[in-house]
Amino acid sequence: MSFVVVNNIGKVYQSNGVDSAVRVLGGINLEIEEGEFVSLMGPSGSGKSTLLTIIGAMNHPSDGRVLVDDIDVYGLSEERRADFRCEYLGFVFQQHHLMPYLNALENVMLPLVTSKASAKQKRIRALAVLQRVGLASKAARLPNQLSGGEQGRLAIARALVNEAPLILADEPTGTLDSKTGVEIMEVFQQLNAQGQTIFMVTHNPDNAALAHRIVNIRDGRMFDESDVAQSGA
Amino acid sequence: MRISSIAWANLKRRKSKAAFLIIGISIGIATIVALLTLSRVIKDEVGTQLDQFGANIIVVPQSNSLSLDYGGISVSGVTLDVNQLRTDDARRILEIPYRNRLSVVAPKILGVTEVEGRQVLLAGVDFPSELKLKRWWRLVGQKPQQDQDLLVGYEAAKRLSLIESTADGQSQAVPVMEMAEVTSGGGVHHNNVEQKSFRIVGDRLRIDGQEHRVAGVITSTGGSEDQMIFGSLPHFQSLLGKPGQLSMIEVSALCIGCPVEDIVKQISAQLPNAKVSALQQSVRSRAETMDRLTRFAVAVSAVVLVIGALMIFTTMMGSVVERTKEIGVLRAIGLRKSQIIKELMIEVAAISTIGGLVGWISGMLASWLILPYFSQSGVSLEFDPKIALGAVMAALLIGALSTIYPAIRASRLDPSEAVRHV
Repeated sequence: MSFVVVNNIGKVYQSNGVDSAVRVLGGINLEIEEGEFVSLMGPSGSGKSTLLTIIGAMNHPSDGRVLVDDIDVYGLSEERRADFRCEYLGFVFQQHHLMPYLNALENVMLPLVTSKASAKQKRIRALAVLQRVGLASKAARLPNQLSGGEQGRLAIARALVNEAPLILADEPTGTLDSKTGVEIMEVFQQLNAQGQTIFMVTHNPDNAALAHRIVNIRDGRMFDESDVAQSGA
Repeated sequence: MRISSIAWANLKRRKSKAAFLIIGISIGIATIVALLTLSRVIKDEVGTQLDQFGANIIVVPQSNSLSLDYGGISVSGVTLDVNQLRTDDARRILEIPYRNRLSVVAPKILGVTEVEGRQVLLAGVDFPSELKLKRWWRLVGQKPQQDQDLLVGYEAAKRLSLIESTADGQSQAVPVMEMAEVTSGGGVHHNNVEQKSFRIVGDRLRIDGQEHRVAGVITSTGGSEDQMIFGSLPHFQSLLGKPGQLSMIEVSALCIGCPVEDIVKQISAQLPNAKVSALQQSVRSRAETMDRLTRFAVAVSAVVLVIGALMIFTTMMGSVVERTKEIGVLRAIGLRKSQIIKELMIEVAAISTIGGLVGWISGMLASWLILPYFSQSGVSLEFDPKIALGAVMAALLIGALSTIYPAIRASRLDPSEAVRHV
């Protein structure tokens, strides 16, 4: 069985009663294997981020099920789902969403807040991840003292520190210049080469092409899936 | 990295907001501490003054016969009673467990005798304790110095032609509490009741063939003492043929914070042959005065607390809105709702504790500065750890109560929506 199974997912937002219900996703089926790098592409408003947050155990779907490592994510209570996010998922947001008042090391240590490990162990783990993304020397710096690329790498480090089996990235290069974007994508490729499963939402076809597989979505429905390796991209 | 680390980092980051909250809480707590401290000190002082102002416990012999009336209190006809009070009984009252609560013990012998052809009620008293008890008396003349010295009530003095009215309107009567041990004789008093002034014209009085000196005249009080003659206790006991006997003992107990009934029980146990009763009206009116002071302080404190709570509530609600994205990220990376609530509560607890301590110090300082304007007797402030603890606990309580709703609201933020928040 695949590591991630998205089964007939639908999502309807209701703002002011039933009459104004908006269906943003419908009948989405997707499977992601362990160690796979999958890109999700589609125009703005197509439902990419909604699908990402549904897989990310943050957004209850209106229909269907999401299984991660054979766990029915929305069968869990809300608090258990928080534990699940902590244990299974690493998020990289488009805006990075780093805590401006915490230094790089503390930002990386944030997901370890709930861990029972000692302060020293948490520190060692966070420093190791910073080393992995090339930021060990800047551990004491605040986010605003880092470049855009460094902030992106810091956000990735935060997603990695829990050794989460699945990284979910929402347009991680969306706000970066092309050079910095390339730098970030190299980090993702290196991680994937080490066996990390990655599901990435992107607008950028070049970045999407770096994945094993591209999934296209439009108006809340998947309409095309292409194997990058087979198409020779 | 723990939840508390995030809370501390947040406090350090939002120093001005934290300082604003601390100042707000401090002002609230300082106001409450100052109010409660001042009201307690004033309450104690007023209470002590009220307690010293007249008796609130009367001790009379056990008797069925009532023959004399004094100050609206019926006094037993001692000559007919088997159970009589003795001079020693007054001393025994001072041996009860609550003796430190007794302000004045004033023994008396009462009797009727003929003076210059008129029936007059004589009262043999222990002058130092009597004058301490009757602080509202105003005297023209001197305090009694000798065994044969008398104080005469205004009406009695008038009928016995000891005083005469004057037209100059000068007033030289002195309250007994302000009188020196020995004052110059004479003096003129403007009588408030009759709107007349008088002066002493006769300073000698024969009672039962013995010559006495009229040391002073008590200005009109409107009470039964206007009709009476007061002399020293042992002398009048001998004059009335009742050596060692007492008609009654008036007791003034300091009853702030102690039940007068307990003192009554202890005196009853000490003097089993006496009837001991509390003047309930007096005790109740004192308690009501004290209650009014306390109620005022509590009401103002409650208003201050509500204002403080609203201030914290608005600030924390604003803080939650401001930190929507941050809270969303924390939820997205796996923090539970309870951990979000805990983080906000730690912040408020830290702010409240500092605010409570600063408020307590400021409140005590303010009380110390203000107290001289409120207290006449120069009462000093005492360090009370309960007030310090209470101040911090009150600050923590209003902090926690005002933050519960914003914290729950923060914990309920949809992480997927929150991380999109810009």
